Amino acid sequence: MISLVQPLIPALRRYARALLRDREDADDLVQDVLERAIARWAQRREAASVRAWLFTILHNLALDRLRQGKRRGTAEPIDTLPEGRLATPARQDAAIARDDILALVAALPEEQRTVMLLVGVEELSYAEAALILDVPMGTVMSRLSRARERLRRMLAGESVGARPALRIVS
Amino acid sequence: MSDISVTEAELQAHVDGRLAPDREVAVAAWLAARPEEAARLLAYRSQRDALRRALDPIVDEPLPPALDLRLREAPRARWFARARPAFAANVAALLLLGGAGGWMLRGWSAPPTVGTAALAREAAASYSVYASDTLHPVEIAASQRGALDGWISARLSRPIKAPDLRGAGLELIGGRLVASEHGPAGLYLYRYADGGRVAVYVRPMQVDRTDKMVPRKEGGVRGWTWADNGMGFGIFSGNGDGGDTLHNVADMIRTQFERT
Repeated sequence: MISLVQPLIPALRRYARALLRDREDADDLVQDVLERAIARWAQRREAASVRAWLFTILHNLALDRLRQGKRRGTAEPIDTLPEGRLATPARQDAAIARDDILALVAALPEEQRTVMLLVGVEELSYAEAALILDVPMGTVMSRLSRARERLRRMLAGESVGARPALRIVS
Repeated sequence: MSDISVTEAELQAHVDGRLAPDREVAVAAWLAARPEEAARLLAYRSQRDALRRALDPIVDEPLPPALDLRLREAPRARWFARARPAFAANVAALLLLGGAGGWMLRGWSAPPTVGTAALAREAAASYSVYASDTLHPVEIAASQRGALDGWISARLSRPIKAPDLRGAGLELIGGRLVASEHGPAGLYLYRYADGGRVAVYVRPMQVDRTDKMVPRKEGGVRGWTWADNGMGFGIFSGNGDGGDTLHNVADMIRTQFERT
């Protein structure tokens, strides 16, 4: 079990941190994922890859936490948005600054952000992403398309509806 | 050619490089006639790459011990499994020697195989081998300190930085990874202005995960060992300054690691 799970831990940390945007919270979450994975190892369905299985556990726990955070009325951890971007001198036209992209992705609706991270960063297959998110594959594709287009517009400086809310009002 | 139909899902798959080869050809042809669409997909690809670049460093961070499954197996069980053959061998040796005369065993005790006592022996042995080496005392020199810290952090699966001991008149020469019975360990070598060398040895601990600072003497090498939060430390020198001076340096190291 350790030989299968251990190599995946760095990627789990990456996804957790991209979602929670806090190192300690994210590592805490990954620890919970590992506890669950150990406890439920025998119940794992062999058909799904260990990777998809671990990401499913992580994804569900992360959303629980994000929603709990919302219920308590805490601010979504979104850093300063376009201000930081304007302050960054353009290096190359094509290069997108690190903080910008993270802040903008954080501003995406949760369902778009998760697809973008699972497919684009974690390189899970569309089918695995559908399994993790518990939606049909067509939904994965349309969310991916919407997420990318929205991000493209934000990066191009176009307004995307209202400015993303910085505080979640329950 | 322009009447080939291409779906939005296929365009997304093109961005991800996941189209079947024949469809990739069809999509490329479709895009060739539509520069605006091609630019849109290019933008998707560059945003995806930027996002990867922004998040990839997380993967290279050393794993915190709490997330390292390799450290999770019950330490006692592992220790027992490893110690048992040695124990059996000792029993066999005792049985053989028993008739030959118990007097031979006066003061006999098994050498420590675990804990900071074992760490002391490893650290002193490393000091003896490497500190006296005039040609290649270290694998990575202090000038490449980042690479050295990165290497040792990666192999020890936790963030390790070479302690800054200039306050004690010790200049970092460099360091290396060394092998111990308990897995990889980091060895840093320092020198005083007069050329005297000091070794700092670190490795993760299964037994004595926290242990007070105690003086050690291993042959002609003297120093101190301690352990904090699962990391064991040893500082050794053969210059006869194993007393107060080295104790102060040990305190300095402990403080620096507490802050990280």
